[in-house]
Amino acid sequence: MPNRISTIAKQTFKTALNNRATLALTLLLGLSLGLATYVGWQNFKTQNNQRLHYKELVRAQWLAKPDKHPHRMAHYGYLAFREKHELSFFDFGIESFAGVSIFLEAHKQNTVNFSEAGFSNGMLRFGEISVAMVLQLLVPLLIFFLGYNSISAERESGTLKILLCQNVSWKQLLWGKTLGIIGVCLSIFIPLMLLTILLWASLSHWQISGDASLRLMVLIFSYAIYFFIVSAVTVLVSAFARSSKSALTTLLACWIFFMVIMPRITQAIGVKIYPSPSKIEFADAIATDIHKQGDSHNPDDPHYAAIKDSLLKTYGVTDVKKLPFNYGGYIMAEGEKITSKIYSNHQKELNKVFEKQNSITTAAGFMNPYLSLKHISMAITASDFDTFVDFQNQAEAYRYQLAQKMNKLQIDKISNIAPGEEEKPLAISKAHWAEQPDFNYHFGKLSSVLTNELLALSALTCWLLATVMLLQYTTRWIKTI
Amino acid sequence: MKKSIYNPEFKLFFRNSSSWIGIIVLLITGFAGLYFGKTFINNQQAVIEKAAMLQKKNTLSNIDHFGKDIGLLFYHNKFSFANAPNAWAAFANGQRDINPYLISVTMLGLEGQIYDTDINNPVSLLLGNMDLSFVFIFLFPLVIIAFSYNLLSEQKESGVWSLLRAQTNQSFQVIWQKFLVRVAVIFSVALLLLFVAILYLHLPVDFIFFSITTLIIFYLAFWFAVSFFIISLAKSSNFNASALVAVWVLICIVIPASLNLFLTRKYPMPEALQNVINQREGNHEKWDMAKEVTMKPFFDHYPQLKQYPFPEEKTFSWFWYYAMQQMGDDQAIASRRAIENKLAARQRFTNTLAFFFPTIQTQLGINNMAGSDLNTHLDFQEAVRKYHEQIRLHFYPGIFLNKAVDSTDIKDYKLEKYSPQQIPSVWANLLSISILTVILIGTTVFNFKRQEQF
Repeated sequence: MPNRISTIAKQTFKTALNNRATLALTLLLGLSLGLATYVGWQNFKTQNNQRLHYKELVRAQWLAKPDKHPHRMAHYGYLAFREKHELSFFDFGIESFAGVSIFLEAHKQNTVNFSEAGFSNGMLRFGEISVAMVLQLLVPLLIFFLGYNSISAERESGTLKILLCQNVSWKQLLWGKTLGIIGVCLSIFIPLMLLTILLWASLSHWQISGDASLRLMVLIFSYAIYFFIVSAVTVLVSAFARSSKSALTTLLACWIFFMVIMPRITQAIGVKIYPSPSKIEFADAIATDIHKQGDSHNPDDPHYAAIKDSLLKTYGVTDVKKLPFNYGGYIMAEGEKITSKIYSNHQKELNKVFEKQNSITTAAGFMNPYLSLKHISMAITASDFDTFVDFQNQAEAYRYQLAQKMNKLQIDKISNIAPGEEEKPLAISKAHWAEQPDFNYHFGKLSSVLTNELLALSALTCWLLATVMLLQYTTRWIKTI
Repeated sequence: MKKSIYNPEFKLFFRNSSSWIGIIVLLITGFAGLYFGKTFINNQQAVIEKAAMLQKKNTLSNIDHFGKDIGLLFYHNKFSFANAPNAWAAFANGQRDINPYLISVTMLGLEGQIYDTDINNPVSLLLGNMDLSFVFIFLFPLVIIAFSYNLLSEQKESGVWSLLRAQTNQSFQVIWQKFLVRVAVIFSVALLLLFVAILYLHLPVDFIFFSITTLIIFYLAFWFAVSFFIISLAKSSNFNASALVAVWVLICIVIPASLNLFLTRKYPMPEALQNVINQREGNHEKWDMAKEVTMKPFFDHYPQLKQYPFPEEKTFSWFWYYAMQQMGDDQAIASRRAIENKLAARQRFTNTLAFFFPTIQTQLGINNMAGSDLNTHLDFQEAVRKYHEQIRLHFYPGIFLNKAVDSTDIKDYKLEKYSPQQIPSVWANLLSISILTVILIGTTVFNFKRQEQF
């Protein structure tokens, strides 16, 4: 029984590659994939090296600052650059649409600026050719061209009757055809994955981490499932269609609807249902909340007056100038604590809104396997929304830590008595600057990535099960003639 | 009399259910595009109105908080400048989701503020907006393909063709008539959608309207020419469908996407990151230097400000502070120019390429007309720079003389709106598309002539 399936599969594979048009198309696709991989890899290296270069420069400049007041350093701040994951050369995901650098300073949360999209004159809207894009969009098209007449042509030429008379069951025929088509895909996919592994290993300087290898394995597995789903659907459409022509037009219409139109519409619906605030509204909401909490600039503000009173009481002094530490630094630390907390809460709310907007597209994965695979692929190659949010969070945590570190230095090392208007400003030794570590982004673990992508993963699994069931049990409704 | 030849062809066309499906798909997606495009732009308009209100509210609250110290007030107070969308932006959202349409700046260094983005959902940016221009550029060609791929091949496959050729020597005329019916239907649907757009988006019927309409008609004609060319090869329906979809995928996705990757590689933008660093160092390093290092170049830049007495002996003065901020911008000028040059190089590269690819050409042309492209944004940035300088020069004297806030007219400042200066032209776009269309039609006619000889 499996023998017969493999015979049909081999036969399908051979006839497909014997067709000169198919062979040309397959080679062309393979070539463009090779090119996409190479250029993607080159781009990754250029961009990442740029960011690393500026990261080192920022660090060196920070360390080279002379003796000065720590609060000056808090305002001088830090520049953080979003690093790319080694696997992101495979799938660009949101990379080009998300900012690259963020300025981290005291009192203020800035946006991540300078996305590639901001420098684009509209060309970017056509997409970027990456390995993932070719595999997600173009390989299915190849599969459709390979398989649209897999059953219908046999029917039209009359060989279908002969095959079925020779004790070949419908089930064997469908599985054999599906596997044969997958075979053609794998003949491009397998060398490509080997190339990917090689390039990825070279990007990681031949030091392969367990997490990254696992990521790559899940990635390969997901794409293999996707190809299976698409191949099975193609063979089924070919089996159920009235003619080869109707099978082809159905498949092409599906391709256009599911891969071109649907993603835009689902996202537009998500944005419509869950509107996100504009920057100015967002900032206003934060300012209102901070105002409610207390105003550190207002000497009569009840919140800060209470702090002052309790400090005076604890240290048994009558004036903040007599406190044994820098009072201004203490108040700033308190202010930073309050404002950061409010900001972070609002940012969390905002990210929740964005997640809700995206959830429509993710849920549409149950109707459209392309969307679920796209989601999974971006998540595994760390070029997705969650990774971007994670970068923002880590940058904000670093900003807060830096501001508080400088406040602490001020509290401990700066005299509580302010110098006169014409006197030298107070300063501390530049040796302290090295106490502030460099900003390093840490990518999440695969396990947490997979937990976040549970919905997309289950959508893809549903599709896998559904296509297997269809191949197994729908044969009785297919017409032989 | 002539009309009667076409009547049965129209009847035949409309009897086919797939014709109706094609028309309905275009209408539904067209209306969806109009709806989502308008929603997107309405939202931006609402935000701009809100920003105008907040500008007043925030200025008053800042005066309340920092009104005793004029230098501190202008340290905090923001001035908003909006790139208000015109009616066409709802037709083609373009880059308006990526580039900020509202820039609020304080009097501090501008290079540290002008590149701040809006808060966006990057996934929405990636998947793109749904607007009417998307329907015209991407979906209309597909329906054109669906309507015309089997014009000749179907006749051949059903055996009608040989019968027809036996009866008349004007077989080409028959195909031509069928083709014209499809052209008429597609153009009617396109014009209907444009007409609805006029009403729904309140588009003015002006030069821009005629330019965009012409551009779209030329673009659709190009796709008809492509279909007609493939038909003229006289291959099977399946070949035609595959070939036309492959051409669509190449022209609409693969080639632009590959060129884009090439563009990114050829013109990387490290200047942007360098610019941030230059601005930050140029400003902050001055704290640790003699005041003269700041003030001399500052007075060289603005000699008219020399008349205000600079408090040399004071450790800190707002005069010095604002001059230091200006040094950040002044020291970033080379990298800023480098960014501008790089962007101009990118634009030149794209314009050259667009000459060969009508999809890119049409997209760029429409976005340019609708004021939703990168160039409009760069002009807007330039206007923000001018506005920023105007505000600084206006308020510097008050700050440098440490005057009372009430003596300034800060309360009169409202949100400013950017109005584009020049009306863009569409001739180059039209020229390139029409040349390609004519070449294709020429080749097609040649193909048919050659076949009729046999």
